[in-house]
Amino acid sequence: MPGQLYKSAAIVGAAEANEIGFLKTPVTSLQLHIEAIKNLSEQTGVPIAKIDGVFSTGWSTELCEHLGITPKYIDTTAVGGCSFEMHVHHAMAAIHAGIIDIALISHGENGHSANKLGRGGANYAAGAGNKSPAFEMSMAYGIAGAPAGYAHAMVRHMHRYGTTREDYAHIAKVSRDWATLNPRAAMYSKEKHPFGGPITVEQVEESRLIAWPLTILHCCMVTDHGGAVFVVSPKVAAGLKTKPVWIAGAGESMGHGNMLEMEDFTATSARRSAEAAYTMAGMGPTDMEMALVYDSFTITAAITVEMLGLTPLGEGHTLWKDGHAAPGGKFPINTNGGGLSFNHSGMYGMPLLIEAYRQLSGTAEDGINGDPGKQTNARTCVVNGTGGSLSTTSTLVLMADE
Amino acid sequence: MSYNKPIPSRGTHTKPFWEGAKAGKLMLPRCTDCNRIHWYPRHICPFCHSTNLEWVEGSGRGTIHTFAVQHLAFGPWAEEAPYVTAYIDLQEGDRMVTVLRGVDPEKPQDIKIGAPVAVEFEQADDDTFIPFWRVVEDLEE
Repeated sequence: MPGQLYKSAAIVGAAEANEIGFLKTPVTSLQLHIEAIKNLSEQTGVPIAKIDGVFSTGWSTELCEHLGITPKYIDTTAVGGCSFEMHVHHAMAAIHAGIIDIALISHGENGHSANKLGRGGANYAAGAGNKSPAFEMSMAYGIAGAPAGYAHAMVRHMHRYGTTREDYAHIAKVSRDWATLNPRAAMYSKEKHPFGGPITVEQVEESRLIAWPLTILHCCMVTDHGGAVFVVSPKVAAGLKTKPVWIAGAGESMGHGNMLEMEDFTATSARRSAEAAYTMAGMGPTDMEMALVYDSFTITAAITVEMLGLTPLGEGHTLWKDGHAAPGGKFPINTNGGGLSFNHSGMYGMPLLIEAYRQLSGTAEDGINGDPGKQTNARTCVVNGTGGSLSTTSTLVLMADE
Repeated sequence: MSYNKPIPSRGTHTKPFWEGAKAGKLMLPRCTDCNRIHWYPRHICPFCHSTNLEWVEGSGRGTIHTFAVQHLAFGPWAEEAPYVTAYIDLQEGDRMVTVLRGVDPEKPQDIKIGAPVAVEFEQADDDTFIPFWRVVEDLEE
């Protein structure tokens, strides 16, 4: 008997870059990718704009950005030469699940030209590296590190909606309040860290400037973190001693890779990734009882809750300012203390998943991962991760067991 | 004094831009099928996916889209901090990034989104002239 995915997808075209081999004129990996994709589009008659899933071993975001597309399935599985066959497998599963219809699997690798182009131009996690045109046209301008970029989004948001820095400072203050209920949080107490324990909005405002308008307490920490979760079938879940938390919806999207390409500095692709997740779940923002959102900066959290439909545009910060997001509030947010005060090692997506599991499985207040007052009674949670420079987003709708 | 900031490493398809910069011209890539300007330079038009691209001279004028003041900087830029960085809406469409000139980094409240800016070039080495944008009085200046 064939399996469930038997003939559930087909390969319908194959093309290469214009010139391949030992090229006399050095090329970047990016150029090899783009030529092959253009040729594939012409061979099959499938417009590039119709691609809704992108799979490559490089920085797939950069490929999409260069093409000007914002797919709803993005995969950068890179485990060596067999990655492309894995991409087919992953694409097949995504197509079978009804998430996408047209998957692009692309390869560009300038193994020979790399010798002449020096570093960069290689096709690994750094994308096209220092031969990337986006990097070439932005590296001269002293914008280094995440705060340097994100500050531009905060200024645009303030300009557009009349918000103030003090509005966002409430996010840092409330997140710290949550951290003081979490013994595992880096900023749990003064005993744990000299700068730990409760903070005031004034302290957030008056802390050291990093990139105006961002002061250091508007910024997440850079810590050490390790975490893991299991995702299993309902059958396996039924036989385990731990409580299941159900994945009701999931969605992903992207806006850009480099901030140069951020069309609207007051919005992220979370609007699209959330829409996909809510649709899959058959629920909407009003069905959510708490949220865990990536708070690389206070502005990230504010924009994200707007994108998730939890507030009108320009009013994201009010959830914190009005106390709803705080311990005991009607809509708890970032109950672990967030990247601002719990832990942020660089990529904060895993702590979001872990806290969501703890809250929805009723284990958020076990004395190790939470003191009394940390466990909420939420039965649904929207989780949103943001990557890059407000570039990529993924949204989950999670539900407690019956 | 010699230029001590990071100098862009050249890609393989941006030569006309840097040649233009050396001649004091802001060269921009345009698609000959949909006629739209895009930035940064691509191998393919990000709007209509044509590969028929050409370089045209831009006006060198634009407006501030958003900005920030960098207080924590690294390498040679650290010596200049605080300085203002900005995204510039080009008169021709699409957007560039810059270190903004003609503004006071200590008075960010005086910097206006939408303010007109003009491009200028600073020599970094024999062949590299880097574009920077400066706030100007008005577009007619």
